[in-house]
Amino acid sequence: MLGKKNIKGRIGFAIAILLLVSFSLLPFAQILSTSLKHQYDWGNPSLIPQSINLDAYKELLGLTEAEKVEIPAAIQKILNNPKLSAEKKQAIAAKYTANDNLFPFGKYMLNSVIFSVGAASFSLVFSVMGAYSISRLRFKGQVVIQRSVLFVYMVGGVLLMVPLYQMAMNVGLASSLWGSAFCLFLIYIVQTLPVGMYMLGNYFRGIPFALEEAAMMDGCSRKEAIIKVVLPLSLPMLATVFIYCFIIGWNEYLFASVFLKQYPEFHTLPLALQELFVSKNAIWDRIMAASMLTLAPIVICFLLASRFMKGGKTDGGVKE
Amino acid sequence: MTPLERAEARFGWKLVAPTIAILGLLILYPLMYNVYLSFFDVQLNGSKTFVGIENYIKLLSNSDYYSAIATTSLYLLGTVVGTTLLGLAMALLLRDPFMGRGLVNAAIMLPYVAPVISVVFGWQFLFDPISGVVNYLFVDLLGLWSERSNLIGDPDSALWVVVLFDIWKHAPIAYLLILSKLVSISRDQYEAAAIDGYGPIGRFFHVTLPELYFVLATVVLLRLIWNLNRFEDVYLLAPNVETLPIFTYYQAFTGVIDQGLAAATSVIQLGVLSIFIWFYIKKIMKW
Repeated sequence: MLGKKNIKGRIGFAIAILLLVSFSLLPFAQILSTSLKHQYDWGNPSLIPQSINLDAYKELLGLTEAEKVEIPAAIQKILNNPKLSAEKKQAIAAKYTANDNLFPFGKYMLNSVIFSVGAASFSLVFSVMGAYSISRLRFKGQVVIQRSVLFVYMVGGVLLMVPLYQMAMNVGLASSLWGSAFCLFLIYIVQTLPVGMYMLGNYFRGIPFALEEAAMMDGCSRKEAIIKVVLPLSLPMLATVFIYCFIIGWNEYLFASVFLKQYPEFHTLPLALQELFVSKNAIWDRIMAASMLTLAPIVICFLLASRFMKGGKTDGGVKE
Repeated sequence: MTPLERAEARFGWKLVAPTIAILGLLILYPLMYNVYLSFFDVQLNGSKTFVGIENYIKLLSNSDYYSAIATTSLYLLGTVVGTTLLGLAMALLLRDPFMGRGLVNAAIMLPYVAPVISVVFGWQFLFDPISGVVNYLFVDLLGLWSERSNLIGDPDSALWVVVLFDIWKHAPIAYLLILSKLVSISRDQYEAAAIDGYGPIGRFFHVTLPELYFVLATVVLLRLIWNLNRFEDVYLLAPNVETLPIFTYYQAFTGVIDQGLAAATSVIQLGVLSIFIWFYIKKIMKW
């Protein structure tokens, strides 16, 4: 249709593809390139570094030797005082050996993993139950529930940030560290649950009911039929939904900033990276290396998911 | 109702109950609570004083609110048109199988799945006034601009950077939606049109476009719904572009905090959003 038969058409086609792919990948190439460059090389428009610099990665992954910080002699004297409790000594020593410039990337990554994997798991369980119910069982009020799910699915987080924050404040959760973390966890479940239900609902509808019926004829209860027939058949979709929910949690910034900004030890990657960017420790190669490392798990998940997704690619298309 | 049906209904409710509880408590209730809050002067620590419709009066007499509406409108216009056109172009280009299509597909889907927080830094670097490739290209190489400029630093040009960013990030999903419809158009229709004497362009307007009408409307509506509330993509790339969500965020959590005013802004925005969603459910939904 695009006249690919003649030489001119072929060349035009190849150029168009090349432009498209470059447009899509240029920012990624820029991140990778800058993360590997030495500072003197940043202004060089070429994407290929003059020499490879892995310092930023080493630093983020904690592979560099911890710099020995000299404890001043006066302080050392205090530390040698036998009257001081061991605890206090440690606290004082920590003050002098702590490296403020360090960006504890591993900790942030662990936080992100806990939040997004945890929320995605809960979300998957609830959405399997909910999606089966509204797609397979018949009861009054089903249509209303279906439409409500679709509605809440499209209400963005921005409209909920003030009331959710105030609710958390009213019940006293927002003022403590664990309370805030718990709130954020619940919010991630809520943000991913509708998309999971939507995708799974569409999928369950495509599984022939006769299969379940056969299992029930053989003496399975409905519950057993779900576990033994429907779920195994849906494995690829379950994986896709899980990955999808995981990505949503991994990428989330708004609520993390509302609830966790004041608790640096619980920062997730998006929040930590943004804080790093606006702080005095922002150096391009460090930021870019952190970006690459934040990106990597998602790219891997995506490549895994796209293998599962061959069939119903647009199922998740309405959510982002 | 037979006992069997009743058992099925009970089972159905049991399965969906946790979902209803969670969504009700954390989405539907907050939306209503938000309306309630919009009539109060709300402090960050949770204390409230009733002020009637004062928040709405304050909001509607605030010129910043109108400029946020204008910015949002431009943002929506730019992103909806851009994403739909690019998505359509991509779908037409990649419709027929060719060698390496899988790889090309993976490459163009990448922006869509990548975390916003990572890719914004790449974009910021590209537009950096000192080291950025964009300035290098337009100033040093092509000579189109007389001097290097900070495109993201200036809110007027930053808006268009943000629009371009959104197109880059979300054209892939438009592409997937359009492609799935495009491949279902039968060859016969094209052959019939060819016999009628239509060239490639004529066939596009007489066969492809009418067939795609519905899916294009879907794409436009979905972009409107998602982009009206888009926060991260704008705030993290260029916090100086004040679309409505960012305006609300600033009211609620930074500077002179006025959560009641933010609630009022959200209420109005929910009203507009509900119209879009109503359209979507009525006209497009497959459920």
